[in-house]
Amino acid sequence: MTRPVLDVLAPVDTRDEQCEVDARMHAARDAPGAFPLAIRGVTKRWHRSRPAVLDELDLALEPGTLTWVGGRNGAGKTTMLRIAAGLIEPDEGRADVWGVSARENRRRYQALVSFLPAGDRGLYARLTVRRQLDFWARISMVPSPQVRQCVDGAIDAFDLRELADRRVDRISMGQRQRLRIAMTFLPDPETVLLDEPLTSLDGHGTELVLVAVQQVLDRDGVVLWCSPSEEHLDIAFDARWILEQGRMMPA
Amino acid sequence: MSDAITAGHAFMAVMRRDLTIYLSYRTRLVSQVLTSVFSLTLFYYVSKLVHVSGFKSPSDYFAFVVVGISMIGVMYSCFSIPDLLRQELVAGTFDRLLLSPFGAVRSLLAMTLFPLFYSFVLAAITLGLGCAVFGLRLHWSTVPLSVPAMALALVAFLPFGLLFAALTVVVKQGSVGTTWVIALLSIVGGLYFPVSLLPHWVQTAARLQPFTAATTVLRHLLVGTSVGGSPDEALVRLALFAVVLVPGSILVLSGAIRLGQRRGTIIEY
Repeated sequence: MTRPVLDVLAPVDTRDEQCEVDARMHAARDAPGAFPLAIRGVTKRWHRSRPAVLDELDLALEPGTLTWVGGRNGAGKTTMLRIAAGLIEPDEGRADVWGVSARENRRRYQALVSFLPAGDRGLYARLTVRRQLDFWARISMVPSPQVRQCVDGAIDAFDLRELADRRVDRISMGQRQRLRIAMTFLPDPETVLLDEPLTSLDGHGTELVLVAVQQVLDRDGVVLWCSPSEEHLDIAFDARWILEQGRMMPA
Repeated sequence: MSDAITAGHAFMAVMRRDLTIYLSYRTRLVSQVLTSVFSLTLFYYVSKLVHVSGFKSPSDYFAFVVVGISMIGVMYSCFSIPDLLRQELVAGTFDRLLLSPFGAVRSLLAMTLFPLFYSFVLAAITLGLGCAVFGLRLHWSTVPLSVPAMALALVAFLPFGLLFAALTVVVKQGSVGTTWVIALLSIVGGLYFPVSLLPHWVQTAARLQPFTAATTVLRHLLVGTSVGGSPDEALVRLALFAVVLVPGSILVLSGAIRLGQRRGTIIEY
């Protein structure tokens, strides 16, 4: 059902099997009308007097698909991702993963969804790369005996071995972005939301991201990738959308 | 059960993170110990200069005030939580905590562990310096009981930090009003002088917060003074504050986070 994200890249299994998705979602997968990510009738407006940034937005992602959403600056891409991630709530409508919404069951929702915000924030400057990943694994509720394997898996998958014992404030922007992406993929999420993931990355970093994306698709997860422009036309997106005036338009 | 264990490890991970960050600033402990030394020196000589009614000797007043100085560190720790939250908001790490299965409220509760533990250690260092350098006499027979009493006091103080954290989530300012509250509490909490010296209506106000009760209990256990009221009654009041205020403050904090998510302001800083 899935195909390589980038034709030149063969899927490489660098992650540990211990980190695989929990079996608890299998029952939910069989539920009718349930998707790994469904945004239904979502409306969000920041000020009453201004037009809605998202206007009854609908988007449903099939298992094992990679979707790109573009749009001009301020079109609402980040707002959509934040709602899908469970960070903020819509004024109307809902976002759910396999039928579960953040409002109904926050912990379960957050265990399924992982979000990479745009920019370079979200890191503890004084922690080493390994400590940062270890901390993230633990608050992601990865069972303690599996934390080390998960962290080592993430370090290898994103080529962070040489940086593992260096503090975050002493590594480059591109290396920090690799760390942020490693954190995003570390708990083996079902649904991955990426906001401008290729910021500051070189070619090698881009390839590592695409390998990680492929692994999510291989296990029937979904990836929603947002960026203002199609940075890499050679990425084989299953669907391409443009967010315009609060609604999705085919790209 | 396994979820509870994993959550326990997450709590410890937050504490270990804060310890690692604290230790990465090498001079912080030295500067804080020096602050304690300056305070002890100041009040050692003040105790020799002035006569305070209710105390038999200058060393009695000094013992009284050393416990107060120790407690003010604990008070500052409680009120540092909003600032820590503000740092997380600015760094964008709060979003990560909020989006983790561990969750924002549990993360914030875990964030209180290191500052409170650290203030506990600093209080012990202050008392140790008081003994070693300034001749403070501790009541060693009851000193071990001060550990659980201090733990209860920390739980009773915790809601103040959580309530100000909730305020920070809403208004995005960490230290709004905390300086005034600390100054007020250090007066009505009887940290530097007995509450009995204050006007009667202020004495009543002093009973409405846990700091007075905590210092009364700890003074009784550490230096044997019962100035400030009955230690038993103070212990009961402390327990009541903990039982009532902790769940209430957690509810308020959860509500503030939920409000921020609904309004979309949770990501602002």
